[in-house]
Amino acid sequence: MESFEALIASSAAAHGHLCPGQVVGVRMAMLGCRLIGLTDPRRHDQIKKLIVFVEMDRCTADAVAHVTGVKLGRRSLKFMDYGIMAATFLNLEDGGAYRVLSTEESRDLADMYAPEVEGKYARQLAAYRRMPDSVLFRVQQVQVSLKDCDLPGPTRYKAVCSRCGQVIRDRREVVRCGQVLCRPCTEGAYFSHAREVTWPDMGLAPEAAEGTAAASPEGTQLNREKRAC
Amino acid sequence: MLKKIKVKDAVGTRLAHDITEIRPGEFKGAAFRKGHTVCNEDICHLQKLGKNHLYLIDLAEDEIHENQAAAMLAGALAGDGVTWKDNPTEGKISLLADRSGLLTVNAASLAAFNMIDEVMCASLHSHTLVERGQRVAATRAIPLVMKRAPVQRAAAIAAADGGVLAVRGLKKARAGIIVTGSEVYHGIIQDRFAPVLRDKIEDLGSTVAGVCFAPDDTERIRQAIASFMEEGCDLLLLSGGMSVDADDVTRKAIAAAGADEFHYGAAALPGAMFLVAYIGGTPLLGVPACGLHHRITVLDLILPRILTGEHIGKKALALLGHGGLCQDCPTCTYPHCPFGKGL
Repeated sequence: MESFEALIASSAAAHGHLCPGQVVGVRMAMLGCRLIGLTDPRRHDQIKKLIVFVEMDRCTADAVAHVTGVKLGRRSLKFMDYGIMAATFLNLEDGGAYRVLSTEESRDLADMYAPEVEGKYARQLAAYRRMPDSVLFRVQQVQVSLKDCDLPGPTRYKAVCSRCGQVIRDRREVVRCGQVLCRPCTEGAYFSHAREVTWPDMGLAPEAAEGTAAASPEGTQLNREKRAC
Repeated sequence: MLKKIKVKDAVGTRLAHDITEIRPGEFKGAAFRKGHTVCNEDICHLQKLGKNHLYLIDLAEDEIHENQAAAMLAGALAGDGVTWKDNPTEGKISLLADRSGLLTVNAASLAAFNMIDEVMCASLHSHTLVERGQRVAATRAIPLVMKRAPVQRAAAIAAADGGVLAVRGLKKARAGIIVTGSEVYHGIIQDRFAPVLRDKIEDLGSTVAGVCFAPDDTERIRQAIASFMEEGCDLLLLSGGMSVDADDVTRKAIAAAGADEFHYGAAALPGAMFLVAYIGGTPLLGVPACGLHHRITVLDLILPRILTGEHIGKKALALLGHGGLCQDCPTCTYPHCPFGKGL
């Protein structure tokens, strides 16, 4: 694994800014990997061993993902929307798992660890670099039962919602009274009033795939003209 | 796990903890020690102490008794030069100086330690001069029985960076004193600075290699510095010429002597115009005139730290500010006062 300084620099660049959450996230990930015996989680032979559950969608989550190389699309990053500054690091090879929690008292202790630094934000940045892991984090050894439908790899299971016809992957379907349904059709969704719209309704023409005739400058022009009409 | 039983039913059981007796103005201590087997004769005494019930302890695997916890905490808190005995009294263990010297407390780690529920440690202030055997801190777990995990976490915090408490011995420096000022050099007034500085140096176990008087002349002061350095002095104290008057050239002389680090001004009163400089690792302390008039000044805060080998820079001088204001009490009680005890 790269040094903390190298990781915080690349993490801040990827995230967009350097912040206290980045420092906590990089250190959390370094500790988590150390706990489950991964020395370089982004290396090819280790990347498939690791699953990380992040429990917050804050700066810290980006730093954890950056250091470990886990990704939502690779199914190695799991987002649990708990609003808790914590992440669990699971080694798929041996099942070892540790949940690392950022301590609330570390916020109160920033004044003690960096008293000479002016400004709350800058002081937290400096203090979180200086605090030992034992102050910055609490660690729990945990057991994580991961179903095969949650594992990385190709889609193993597909079902079709009997109400809306949508294909549902990875056993996320719900069976009600013998009927297979998707979650939006049973539990409600984060969206509402869904109504299918047509391309003319959108005021757009569909972009054609690259390399096709419609994707040529002429084709694009044609689309624009049609829209103007 | 704790089981509560009536004291009259406790005969034959062993006490789970020390039982404290307080007789105001006369005695405070353990009337009964942990492990004592309760007998008939004890019942009346226990009741007089307000004990109508006692606890029986049956520790679960993840639990720890306060005495075991206190030992674990003390072992983690104690750094270099600090010792303790695994002989808790009323659940407390005292940490003692294992050598005479300067107590240093990692205040941030101590705060982090005390933020853990159900453990505590209280210490003397950092930078207190202590004698061998002197109690510098005490620790305990607060409940009689507690979970093992938070105790272990507190111990891990305390043990990071080599423990929270350390006593550093003072090295025996060979110091040179340079008293500057044309009025002294030419005998217009009698010097009173050198004896004050000599006493402070010798009280801390160091020796004075010599005293040199120099007029307010940059080159002459520079030569005096060079001379002491050539003689092998590993500490130089310069008095006078630290102010802002036109004749005050001591600072210029220290710079001319080749100071590679130079910090003028300290957040302490008396002692704002104090100076710390280094030439090749040898500290030079510029003591302003307040050192003549006040029994205790910034010099008394910094000199022991210098003698432990601590490198004093801008940050150390700045952090004196909180608590760095002497109250000029009619009777000075330093070190038993807040002066210099901020951070």
